[in-house]
Amino acid sequence: MATRSKRQHKTDVAIVAGIRTPLGKASGVFDQLNVVDLGVLSVREVLARSPVSRDDIDQVIIGNVIQPSEAANVARVIALTAGVPRRVPAHTVHRNCASGMQAITDAAEKIQLGRADVVLAGGVESMTHAPLLFHDRFRAAMAKLSRARTVQQKLPVLMEIAKAPWKPRIALLEGLTDPTVGLGMGQTAEVLAREFGISRREQDEFSVQSHHRAATSWDEGWFDDEVMHVFAPPSFAVVHRDEGIRAEQSLEALAKLKPVFDKPLGSVTAGNSSQITDGAAMLILASREKAEAEGWPVMGYLHDWAYAGCDPARMGLGPVFATQRLLLSAGMSVSDLARVEINEAFAAQVLACLKAMDSDAFANKYLGIGKAVGAPAMDILNVHGGAVAFGHPVGMTGARLVLTLLRQLRDDTGGGLAVGTLCIGGGQGGAVLIGSEPAGGES
Amino acid sequence: MNVVSLIREANIARLHFERSDKPVNVLDDACIVQMEAHLEALEAEPPEILVLDSGMAGCFIAGADLDMIAAVTDEKKATQLAERGQSLCRRIEVLPSVSIALVHGACMGGGLEMALACDYIVAVDDKRTQLALPEIKIGIHPGFGGCVRLPKRVGWIQAVEMILSGRAVDAKRARRIGLAALCSKPEQQDDAVSYLAAKGKVKTRKFNPWWLKLWPARVLFFQQVEKKTYARLKHLDVEAAYPAIPATIALLQEIIGMSDGQALAREAESLGRLAVTPTCKNLIRVFHLGDALKKQDAAKRGRKAVAGFKKAAVYGAGVMGGGIAWVASKTMDVDLHEVDAEPLARGMRGIGRLATRRGRTDSKRLNRIRPVLDSSGLSDVDVVIEAVLEDIKVKRKLWAEVGKYVPTETLLLSNTSSLSISDMQHRRANAERIAGMHFFNPAPKMPLVEVIAGEKTTDNTLDKTCALAASWGKYPIIVADRPGFLINRCLMPYMVAALNLLETGQKPEHVDGVLKRFGMPMGAIELADRVGLDICHHVGAHLAEAFEHQQAMPGWFDRMVEAGLLGEKSGKGFFVYEKGKQGVLNPELGTYLPSARVKEQEFDADMAASADVMTAADIEDACLIPMLVEALQCLSEQVVEDPLHLDAAFVYGIGFPPFRGGLLRHFASYDESALTQKIEALGLITPDNLEVLHEFQ
Repeated sequence: MATRSKRQHKTDVAIVAGIRTPLGKASGVFDQLNVVDLGVLSVREVLARSPVSRDDIDQVIIGNVIQPSEAANVARVIALTAGVPRRVPAHTVHRNCASGMQAITDAAEKIQLGRADVVLAGGVESMTHAPLLFHDRFRAAMAKLSRARTVQQKLPVLMEIAKAPWKPRIALLEGLTDPTVGLGMGQTAEVLAREFGISRREQDEFSVQSHHRAATSWDEGWFDDEVMHVFAPPSFAVVHRDEGIRAEQSLEALAKLKPVFDKPLGSVTAGNSSQITDGAAMLILASREKAEAEGWPVMGYLHDWAYAGCDPARMGLGPVFATQRLLLSAGMSVSDLARVEINEAFAAQVLACLKAMDSDAFANKYLGIGKAVGAPAMDILNVHGGAVAFGHPVGMTGARLVLTLLRQLRDDTGGGLAVGTLCIGGGQGGAVLIGSEPAGGES
Repeated sequence: MNVVSLIREANIARLHFERSDKPVNVLDDACIVQMEAHLEALEAEPPEILVLDSGMAGCFIAGADLDMIAAVTDEKKATQLAERGQSLCRRIEVLPSVSIALVHGACMGGGLEMALACDYIVAVDDKRTQLALPEIKIGIHPGFGGCVRLPKRVGWIQAVEMILSGRAVDAKRARRIGLAALCSKPEQQDDAVSYLAAKGKVKTRKFNPWWLKLWPARVLFFQQVEKKTYARLKHLDVEAAYPAIPATIALLQEIIGMSDGQALAREAESLGRLAVTPTCKNLIRVFHLGDALKKQDAAKRGRKAVAGFKKAAVYGAGVMGGGIAWVASKTMDVDLHEVDAEPLARGMRGIGRLATRRGRTDSKRLNRIRPVLDSSGLSDVDVVIEAVLEDIKVKRKLWAEVGKYVPTETLLLSNTSSLSISDMQHRRANAERIAGMHFFNPAPKMPLVEVIAGEKTTDNTLDKTCALAASWGKYPIIVADRPGFLINRCLMPYMVAALNLLETGQKPEHVDGVLKRFGMPMGAIELADRVGLDICHHVGAHLAEAFEHQQAMPGWFDRMVEAGLLGEKSGKGFFVYEKGKQGVLNPELGTYLPSARVKEQEFDADMAASADVMTAADIEDACLIPMLVEALQCLSEQVVEDPLHLDAAFVYGIGFPPFRGGLLRHFASYDESALTQKIEALGLITPDNLEVLHEFQ
């Protein structure tokens, strides 16, 4: 924040194109598309739809959480497979749930530093293809076997292998657990629900609203430009709408669900949490000068961003810390914003964030400021639904938030500023400030 | 001229194949004579190591000289030819030197047999390195000892497969199956030679698999081989059509366990018999015809421009459009455009099936095809191919629309089967870049592509179009912008003739059976079903309108179309179709075809009608002569200029049996006056350029 004054002179970062795939439920429509396939589909599509040619690209940065073992540095594999020229370097970034956002902010930093003019950035995730792993004792025994030469040496090692646990470890579940505090993400949401006194009914109402908002927006055709058509094997039937949205979702149906993370007394259920899904989102960022010189249409500008740490056991509050830091450094308040997206990792977590943002006591205690930053009103928050309805492909969501906010500013509000923020497993928050116009008074 | 030279350096002698008169090394007379001289020198003073290599890029030895085989007319001479080659190989084999063939590039037929005579083969890892014994494709089998040596090298099962299919293996696979002793990178050739030289000369090779030594297993094995091979040719009289197939199977079965000398003698004898068959001559001819189309001047001129093509847009995701998209994805990225998601999904599903072979999906190539529902991605396309509805208005509109987005040098190609390209160009700003590129169904399989220039098409556009087709492994043929172009125009009288036969009481199964036995890939009636009766009707009406002499489809055929019996796509036409498989005769046929109804009523139809069942020869003539007459008419109208191209077109476009050498070649064997009589008996006008056939005898 000390560099704020310097940053005023930095290049404006324009976003010239963006697209995302529909989000498919785990082992659903995208069952046979792996991370690389999803990434390639979206990269090809964003390049085809924008006037930016693949030869214009200087760098590729893609966020991904469950990085596949068969495609190390998945960004590079995606870039090459999608036909991005070989000379263009590519790297993968990982900041858990904010990986897609990290890719975009990294891209913006490179542009601001003058190290790149055009960067293809985004996020991709196939939670379907999270692997099953062997226990570490099994691995150790296998390693011994490869060193054993004679039958006498091999026999005891084989015994050891036979005795080692054969039950697979589920990488997806392990990935969604914080090793430092030993809590699953759902359990951290339970912590917030208890501490902020968020009832089951409040959570369910919020979830129903998310589904209804998403379904209505889809029905109105609002998402048609944001989401590409995917023809997914093996049936190659067209997929356009996000698979998880339930237009008919009712409170009664949600109330029947049992809590999953804190049985039987908890309040976080599968119905009021984000869905495990697959998807990809890609954006093309360019310096304002480059975009203007080439005559590319600009969707909007990425003004600023901030990441902040917090208690891993209360990682859901990350957005409060990140948003506060971001707004403070920009000298703004929530009332300046036309739209806000807080990623709905859990309904309880979003509601907790709202309460924390409104609480002077919380601001005093944790943010070191006397007055609360203020919570966004429901009519500017997650207007077109959120992850409870669509799903939350962890490495991709950050990019999706940026994309949807750009379109909301362009199509809904007719300009203005917006903040997209999300909580990050491990106790962090990330937030980006997006504007329809370049930051005032600069070149 | 030197085509093979002997270079000695220290303990290594090299037989270096390199020639300036041909683009590839072939074993022709000059080469064999020089080899014999070098071998004498080598025998007099054997080196420690003998290396066979080639100085030609992308080619080791492409095989024996085809013209030499084509020219042989005497069985004894052919046997002698084989024996001469065999003795060359034998002499290399028995040299005391360790012999190594350094195979970098195509190693076919006689070339591979020569390499097999060496102790070791080093396959250099390169896309162009392909090893094969493709003799079966020209109606013979390997004759320089390949039938004897290959089984020793790779085992009988693999060898029988390679010899009977003629399929090539690449360097990696050659190493895996034991054909090559090493698969090396180009830079490692010297290391490979010294590594293998250290291993010494190969004394004995293991017989593999051991159970083939047992007589009953051997009989069973070859029964299976025969069954599998014949399955592809089930409608043909294989003995007459492809004599090489039974002869090769018999030869291989005979020589198991035989001494080398005896086996080689049998091989040479059998080759002598095969090399003089008309099938062999015809297949060589057809091979040359295809090659001539692929390497025609237009294709050569456009090659350079097309090499830089990166992206194609295909409009229409029907069977044709999907097939074309798949073909194009061989060399470039493809955008597959369609108006609605539903047909696009169907098209992608079809492409998904094309991409999957033996359970494995070529996802890399599949990833290149992007399904598109809007007008995105057109700003950098190099070629647009449309396969949309056959309606001139739709196509003209498309070119106007697409013209707004694409770069100014993009090729605009129309896969039309009946519309005029000149009409399409009328008042279009991009007229000079519009041409016709007509694929045949199924596009990924049929090698022929008709290339059509409209009035305003520039030569440059035409060259690029031909080169584009050639780059996808297709055979382009330039035809004039006349209704139906060449193939469809000639197919229609053939189909009408077959329908007329039905009217006179011939059974559809009988007509189709005769044509299939003749060698056509499917009968004329089934063809109508597969193409779609509505499309046949449409094209037929169009051609009858354009040409006075062409007959339209019979009235009962039109009624079938109206009733929705459209063939394969509606599940019912002349036959019933289930999941693409042809089933029984459609029982409803009697409603439309009067003669079919009569038959049904008489229970003993076969007995009663046997009097007027036509002979196979009569049916062949009745169907094919109208096609011939139309083809000759096309020649005199200069729809296609070179009559040789016409023969190639029929083989590669509609699968006219290649062992018959082509349509004109087939009829050239007829007596002219008898042919004239037959033409007149069919009520057709004898074409005045019948003498063209003389050149084809």
